[in-house]
Amino acid sequence: MSYVAIKGGGQAIAGAAAVSEYLRTEEGLGNTGAEPLAIDAILHQLRHLVDRVVSEGGVYHPRFAALAIKQSMGDTLEAAFALRAWRSTRPRLSETPPLDTSRMRLIRRISAAFKDIPGGQMLGPTPDYALRLLRLELMDESPDAFRAVARNWLEKCPEAELPDTFPKVLDALRAEGLLPPVSATRGQTAFDITREPLVFPVPRSAQLATMARAETGSLLAIAYSNMRGYGDVHPTVAELRVGYLPVMLPHPVTGEFVEAGEVLITECEVVAMYEADEAGGKPVFTIGYGACFGHNEVKAISMAILDRALQKGMKDGANNPSEDPEFVLLHVDGVDSMGFASHYKMPHYVTFQSDLDRLRTTQQKSGEPA
Amino acid sequence: MNLERKDWIRALTAHPATVLNALAEDVTAGCDVKFKSLPQAGLGLLTLTDGAFHEPYYLGEFPLSACSIELSLSDGRQAAGGAQVMADDAELARSLAILDAVLAARFPGWERVSAHIESGASRRAEEDRRRRVMLAATRVDFAMLNNAEDDDDEC
Repeated sequence: MSYVAIKGGGQAIAGAAAVSEYLRTEEGLGNTGAEPLAIDAILHQLRHLVDRVVSEGGVYHPRFAALAIKQSMGDTLEAAFALRAWRSTRPRLSETPPLDTSRMRLIRRISAAFKDIPGGQMLGPTPDYALRLLRLELMDESPDAFRAVARNWLEKCPEAELPDTFPKVLDALRAEGLLPPVSATRGQTAFDITREPLVFPVPRSAQLATMARAETGSLLAIAYSNMRGYGDVHPTVAELRVGYLPVMLPHPVTGEFVEAGEVLITECEVVAMYEADEAGGKPVFTIGYGACFGHNEVKAISMAILDRALQKGMKDGANNPSEDPEFVLLHVDGVDSMGFASHYKMPHYVTFQSDLDRLRTTQQKSGEPA
Repeated sequence: MNLERKDWIRALTAHPATVLNALAEDVTAGCDVKFKSLPQAGLGLLTLTDGAFHEPYYLGEFPLSACSIELSLSDGRQAAGGAQVMADDAELARSLAILDAVLAARFPGWERVSAHIESGASRRAEEDRRRRVMLAATRVDFAMLNNAEDDDDEC
């Protein structure tokens, strides 16, 4: 493929930006009540959209994610692109020690494997059991009614006597000898996908990092292929948890670990088909793991399924696309893939002219007598 | 104020940055502030231990600002302070480092810093309480169909 530089079009390009800005603000034409979208409103009322962008942008900055959503008028791929562009301008100052998600301040915790889990199951905020019907009353929601909902809910709810953290379901299974042992690579340095190119085969830490900032739909599509039969993970969600993870960094003077802030994350651990131990030990369940910034359960579950599928592919060879690390990891990044798709809109005049010339020549030759 | 130094940042950042910046300005009125490391805004890399095999991996990045300072009073007393805070705000890191030093060394104005930590800790406690309420209000005890138990009447 070859490209050729073009020139001109500066005014039209500036005009295109102005037209987009016109459409963003068009509501204000003759409407004195029209107001710009407030960043706080996006942060709270479009929280799942913000969660997607912080996750796919690869940087936990909800306010800038909300800003990116505002400027891109809700296009998640463009918003994630803008967030990554911002992050590329920032210096890397520090790195946390490996953080333990059992310290999360949970707002949701469920298990599909056990009815009773230590600490109990809590549904938290979820539409899982709600009817997918339009709530037409929200079409005309008054500001007063809007403000009253959260206040009334808090007043009605009882004080809660709950621990700050909860044990992991997988830990209980591992204690029973039903899971493989923890990795021998524990304590090793993780692969930094923002600094190193993916040269296959890549370690599992590179796979997890790539999937953690993958585009949700892409990850879901490949995981779904495995669920439907192009694979055999057959997962059971041992635990799915959503909550705030304290971000710990050393104090510059004392060296003691200090909570510098917190990130909302979703984490999913799945148990899959058991398999024999090649070393002659007892058979154990296989397991998969997924996590991402924000509250995005479909992404975490998809990632956990693909983690397990990729482990199988790395061990036995890939029998389907979802088990092939190169196929999965090079096709799930939203910014990469949208960039490639979008580039086809750009002028390809010279390459297409070449295609035209070759076709005409081929047609001419095919019409000539042999 | 019973909070340990490691908990001061979480408590203080419950307040708006403007409040903390103003407080830091006030309490350093009679101090000489020297930077041991300049206030800087950038990114931190979040390392997570995966729940399946306990391998470390990078979940992503987060905004991070950091600063280390040394305060000196005219009587010769000195205090060191520092902060790493999850924010894209170098000025906030500077202010937190100052407040950290003032309180650790009981420099003039430490009582106001302490009061802000206490009120900030109260705000954080309220946040934590609301999260626990979310859990408590949705605690579920799924029953098998052949069991009579039903939690629908529980709060």
